[in-house]
Amino acid sequence: MRAARVACWVVVFLIAGVTAGAVLLDALSSRSTGPASLSFVFPLAIAMSTGVGVVVATRRRDNPIGWLLLANGFVLALNGLAANYATYGILERPGSLPGAAWAVLFDQSGWPTLFAAFAAIAFVFPDGRLPSPRWRPIALAAMVSFTVFLLLSFLRPGSFKEPFEAVSTPLPRLPEVIFFPPFTIGALGMLASLVAAALAVRTRLRRASGVERSQIKLFAYAAALVPAAVAAGWVEGLLGSGSETVTVIGLVLVVLAIPLAIGAAVLRYRLYEVDRLINRTLVYVALSALLAVTYAAVSLSLGVALGAGSTLPTAAATLAVALAFGALRSRVQMLVDRRFSRARYEGLRRVERYLVELRAGRAAPEATGEVLAEALGDPSLELFFWLPESDEHVDSSGRPARLAPDSQRDLTPVRRGSLRLGAVLHGRALSERPDLLESVIDAAGLAIEIARLRAEVARRLAEVEQSRARIVTAGYEERRRLERDLHDGAQQRLVSIGLALRHVQGQLPAPSRAAGELDAAVAELSKAIEELRELARGVRPARLDDGLGAALRELASRSALRTRVEATEERFEDRLETAAYFVASEALANAAKHAQASQVTVTAARQNGSLLVCIRDDGIGGARPAEGSGLGGMTDRVAALGGSLSVDSPLGQGTVVTVELPCES
Amino acid sequence: MRVVIAEDQALLREGLRRLFEDAGHDVVGAVEDAGRLRSAVVEHEPDLAVVDVRMPPSFTDEGIRAARWIRDDHPDVGVLVLSQHVESAGAVGLVSQGGFGYLLKDRVLNVAEFLEAAERVARGGSALDPQVVASLVGGEPDALAALTDREREVLSLMAEGLTNNAIARRLVLTERTVEGHVRSVLTKLNLPASEDSHRRVLAVIAYLEAADHAR
Repeated sequence: MRAARVACWVVVFLIAGVTAGAVLLDALSSRSTGPASLSFVFPLAIAMSTGVGVVVATRRRDNPIGWLLLANGFVLALNGLAANYATYGILERPGSLPGAAWAVLFDQSGWPTLFAAFAAIAFVFPDGRLPSPRWRPIALAAMVSFTVFLLLSFLRPGSFKEPFEAVSTPLPRLPEVIFFPPFTIGALGMLASLVAAALAVRTRLRRASGVERSQIKLFAYAAALVPAAVAAGWVEGLLGSGSETVTVIGLVLVVLAIPLAIGAAVLRYRLYEVDRLINRTLVYVALSALLAVTYAAVSLSLGVALGAGSTLPTAAATLAVALAFGALRSRVQMLVDRRFSRARYEGLRRVERYLVELRAGRAAPEATGEVLAEALGDPSLELFFWLPESDEHVDSSGRPARLAPDSQRDLTPVRRGSLRLGAVLHGRALSERPDLLESVIDAAGLAIEIARLRAEVARRLAEVEQSRARIVTAGYEERRRLERDLHDGAQQRLVSIGLALRHVQGQLPAPSRAAGELDAAVAELSKAIEELRELARGVRPARLDDGLGAALRELASRSALRTRVEATEERFEDRLETAAYFVASEALANAAKHAQASQVTVTAARQNGSLLVCIRDDGIGGARPAEGSGLGGMTDRVAALGGSLSVDSPLGQGTVVTVELPCES
Repeated sequence: MRVVIAEDQALLREGLRRLFEDAGHDVVGAVEDAGRLRSAVVEHEPDLAVVDVRMPPSFTDEGIRAARWIRDDHPDVGVLVLSQHVESAGAVGLVSQGGFGYLLKDRVLNVAEFLEAAERVARGGSALDPQVVASLVGGEPDALAALTDREREVLSLMAEGLTNNAIARRLVLTERTVEGHVRSVLTKLNLPASEDSHRRVLAVIAYLEAADHAR
């Protein structure tokens, strides 16, 4: 660990020393080894390669890529030093520096070293290992051919190239017959290694997925800048303006981008943004090119038409570009998506179709989650909405949901502007495509917001329904309590008093006046108890404790009408039995009071998961459950329990009251 | 007659005790819950246990369960269950086994009839509250269509557990007239004629119950 760190810093100091020497010699020299405007690129390239190399080498010690970057920095510095040393020692002040001939030799023959580090990086990118064991002989052949070519270059026959043609080499020169065959093989081998390095990257990209794919994409993206920069410099040279600005910018970009891309890829820094980076670059490059063509075409054609010197073509061309920008931008984006980001393109198209259907009322906002799952190609995707009031997440029908990311799925929050809308639970694969996820969710923002509002309404409605059911249930509970109180409290007390009176009466001589009055009092008491019992029955018949069937039979036995009961002995939830009982009680009372019926049939049974109670009379019909009437009030209570009550009463054909109360089991 | 009383309300319990004692009976135990009732029954082997239906701890049907236990474990002890209202249908089933009574609590205010019923149960007879009988008979328009009003009256009193003699006194008829009505009722309902009033009650109740459930 420590040794690696020390080694790293030793290399850095070495590079710094060599670079300083090169820069110093360049400053002392009146001749430059390249164009003056490029002199800063050389130290910049060294600094970038070395800097990124240090970061990678210290953070990923077992990955050789950091060390290869450091080696690249060193080789760059060494080549620079050799060139400047030779220039100064041979041309500026001949004989002033020892071993200048060696510097010339390295300057003229050492250039293959400049490719070696990058070729090696390409072979082992991004994990520091060869793509497969089968690549081992290829890598070995590459190393051998590089070494052979480099060594043979030092022994090359013939004199040095300009401006060092007068210098003689410190090494022996091989005869051409011996030199050329191995040199040619070495050169071809080296070329083949460079191709193999590119193939290694390609092979990996084909096999890679997820993180590795993004790493390679980032590397390839930076590498693609090289031909782009070369082409840009070439175009600039062709135009012959004498300016080198584009060339310099291109070179600087390459020098910055390649080490940075390698470093970011190996360290996995913001790796997931590579797709967006590539996408944006493609869009802006294509857009710039199109606008440039537009500008050139307009200004050229108008220039020809109006003659030189007019400012109109420029103005018109600017206007044309300004007008074209907006229209072109989205088209180019679509085109790039379609060609290079198929998933994103398809996803956005799906969301767009859905939004059109939503506006036309052909699709429901509740389907937003499914549309997202479809658009993102992830059937496991689920959309949840956040309710700020209760600080919880619910599904599209307003049911509370627990959001639990696991080994299969990740959670991504959904926002629209500053508004928190909810969250998406999605497969791990999508986590590696945040650009896709974000753009599709963004596009569906309106639909998600509508769906969230609907879910919130559904949630509130469910809460209201629940509380209504609770109120009705509590009412029934209260009736039961009241009934108990009447029976166990007041009634018992009255019986006790009666017993006490009887006791007193027993102590009086039988045919006395007081005894007679006590008799009358006890009789009154008995009547009071009887009335109390009737009252309690009205509050809640105790027979309900034995089930709906028992209670209905008791009800029937007290009815003034001939009443048949066909009831199941099955038990239901207390509140359902109570509600059904009171409906039947009300319907029987109506039948007796208004229907002029002679016979009533009461049926109670479970049907399709509901308690179904039916009260049918043979009366005159024409009953209408008015607001505020007994049955009207019952309708509300039945609805509160999730059931329904209907009154079918055609004139002259009797009345059928049906109550349906859904039961869970 | 040796009596055990199980009633959780102290005032009523004392009232009942005095009621029995005033009538010259021996109240050997007055307890407030089903557990103590069982101990008292085991200890005293009384002629009669008067049992409240709702007792601690749950105030639902402790009395009925205790009554069932006495029926099974001490068949010689008569059980008179007192209820605040006509409730568990199970009680009616128990009555048809004899030595069992089921009355509304306020029947105690009609002292003479109450004591008569209590003594009947203690002797192994039956007592079923008139209101229970009314609900059994009242809801039987079809089954009892063949009976005259007087016969239906007699049937109800039979169901309450009354003997011919008691029915005669209640209806202010001669015993012979009552006997005639009884024979007629049993014939019309196709029930076996029996001089044993207890068996007769069973048959009548069983008949009414069966009709009740067929509804």
